[in-house]
Amino acid sequence: MSVLLQVEALSVSANDVTLLEPLSLSLKTGEALTILGETGAGKSLLVQAIMGLLPSPLQARGRVLLDGQDIGRLKPALRARLWGRQLAMLPQEPWHALDPLMPAEQQVAEVYRYVGGLSAPDALERSRQDLAGVGLAGAAERLPGHLSGGMAQRLAFCAATAGGAPIVLADEPTKGLDASRRDQVAALLRRARERGAVLTVTHNIEVARQLGGHILVMRDGRLVEQGEAEELLARPKDGYTRALIGADPQHWPDITPTDGAAREPVLTVRGLHKSRGGRLLFEGLHMTVGRGEIIGISGDSGCGKSSLGDILLGLLPADGGEIRRAPQIARHRYLKLYQDPPAAFAPGIPLGRLFDDLIGLHRLDRRRLAPLLQRLRLDPGLLQRTSVAVSGGELQRLAIARALLLEPLLLFADEPVSRLDPITAREVIALLVQSATEQDCAVLLVSHDLELLRKTCHHVVSLGGRA
Amino acid sequence: MTRRLLGLRRGQLAGLVLIAALVCFALLEGLLHGADPASQDLANPFAGPSLSEPLGTDQYGRSMLARLAAAVRLSLALSLLCVVTSATIGVAMGVVAGWRQGLLDKCMSLLLNIALALPGLVLVLLFASLAPGSFLMLYVGISAVLWVEYFRVVRAITRRVAASPQVQASRMLGFGALYCVRRHLWPAIVGPVLTLAAFGASASILALAALGFIAVGLRPPTAELGLMMVELFPYYNEAPWVLAQPILAVFLLVLGLNLLAGGEE
Repeated sequence: MSVLLQVEALSVSANDVTLLEPLSLSLKTGEALTILGETGAGKSLLVQAIMGLLPSPLQARGRVLLDGQDIGRLKPALRARLWGRQLAMLPQEPWHALDPLMPAEQQVAEVYRYVGGLSAPDALERSRQDLAGVGLAGAAERLPGHLSGGMAQRLAFCAATAGGAPIVLADEPTKGLDASRRDQVAALLRRARERGAVLTVTHNIEVARQLGGHILVMRDGRLVEQGEAEELLARPKDGYTRALIGADPQHWPDITPTDGAAREPVLTVRGLHKSRGGRLLFEGLHMTVGRGEIIGISGDSGCGKSSLGDILLGLLPADGGEIRRAPQIARHRYLKLYQDPPAAFAPGIPLGRLFDDLIGLHRLDRRRLAPLLQRLRLDPGLLQRTSVAVSGGELQRLAIARALLLEPLLLFADEPVSRLDPITAREVIALLVQSATEQDCAVLLVSHDLELLRKTCHHVVSLGGRA
Repeated sequence: MTRRLLGLRRGQLAGLVLIAALVCFALLEGLLHGADPASQDLANPFAGPSLSEPLGTDQYGRSMLARLAAAVRLSLALSLLCVVTSATIGVAMGVVAGWRQGLLDKCMSLLLNIALALPGLVLVLLFASLAPGSFLMLYVGISAVLWVEYFRVVRAITRRVAASPQVQASRMLGFGALYCVRRHLWPAIVGPVLTLAAFGASASILALAALGFIAVGLRPPTAELGLMMVELFPYYNEAPWVLAQPILAVFLLVLGLNLLAGGEE
């Protein structure tokens, strides 16, 4: 086997602060290398340094050898010529990498035409073959905005690999995808491995397991542990690796709160139906949510989980059916947690002032805040910062605190941890379930991860007909 | 890495210093020098710079220092008035149209399209020709052109913010519309509005000078930059330094405001 890519003592620093400690690795033909670690571990920096895409204040040191040539010394223009032909990168958020105004097949055909040098009809033909190969034949003429997350990721994969590059670098390719879509992307990466080599950056243990090959575990820009996939995942030596593997919902202990006796209902739903864009999302939906009950809502992306939440909270009209709330309860006691924590706070304003606004508005007891923050393991000093200066996990816990301050009866949590890394996600979910139960607040927990719901909820409602 | 002071970039800081210097010049002249910009001394045309007349005199022997300062005062006052008026109207309409949407939004957007269909200077000319030489008409005309930009930008930002999860979250927590405007919307629009204001001020200074130059703006003997240029133009051969003064003043005003508005990033 020939060595395709050799990285020697590659490090990344910004103004003398080392973000990625010197790291060496090599990638041979037919090999898969997976870099495992949480957000901020420097995984993406490594991929950007190999591609030559580091933003300007960051500097890479060390050598990146492609077929024996040190590409780190190349001029940017020459280096860019390698993209697509030698090195392909699968981006983290496909939406940002696709042209929103160009039909799917055109985006791939463009690569065949301008990188591969084919004629326009040939390029289109090859593009259609590729899209059919990943199950997108029916979506060839759609715009990216009309594709689901999984479809967009497959399209981005086709566009990235159409240049014929033997080395594929994938940066968190399964972020925000549900289990079945995630497995599809992993299958695509396995296929790319047969044609060359794949370097994947992920925090998802399951993806690492499916890709096999060699695994490097990273934390805070440092290599923690490495080994063959099966061996490392079965018998992790380092404590951090163990924590990372344990954070996968498969390995969670069951944290479902004990089910109490008969509960008075806070929300009753009868025969609810809703269509959107000419597509039926759900019909004949029946559901009763009792006080303090934890109910999971699962389903593929785009199946209407978020719409259901908005309907239940009265933010979106239903097409038919009946929603009954507990009588004589203020509107602000039915609340929502958002998928992207920073999106739910006013930016640039200290969080403490936002909490003060809320306490002032509802004339709440200020003394309740401190124990609540403590319960959610939050440092009160965080309140002096603005929402952008707080980590995603902390901000989501602050959002939980903000909601619980109002003593809600129902909390609709819309994928509250899908943007957090696994160890943080596990902590946030556990704290959410425990603290809500203590206040006797019902939680509707939406997730694409069925395993997570099974470990936390009293029962699970599936939308879109998939159990 | 650019250095920052008062949250401004270096270029903006230069613009601020330039504008502040011009304001100081215009105000201090009024306080300390205080000569009548219209008083003639026909025996003394195009006098060179001297201790009593540091900028010389024009074709009628009028003090250029007094005339230039009066003209800068006039330009700054008009631009300030126009910016405040047009920004208030544009922002208020933009917020209402973006927040409420529906029929109100459609009516306001129709008004916007009508205003956009006419070239700005033509609209100002139209108002100016209704009552030639009237400061009020110029003010109304320029404001009627400038509000459009505020409306468009603020309406677009408001629509985005009003539909955002942060506003939805605040509404669900029980906060009213006024709170959402203060906490969520205002921080999002204040930056773009200030940028537009600086550009608007320079646009109104240019419009005033352009109208003066084609003799449909204010009437002589008012000291106005465009009018001064056209009056001094026939003498460019004899006294180029005098003609250069109003040109330089307009240039510095517009440069300062554009630097203040712009960012190199």
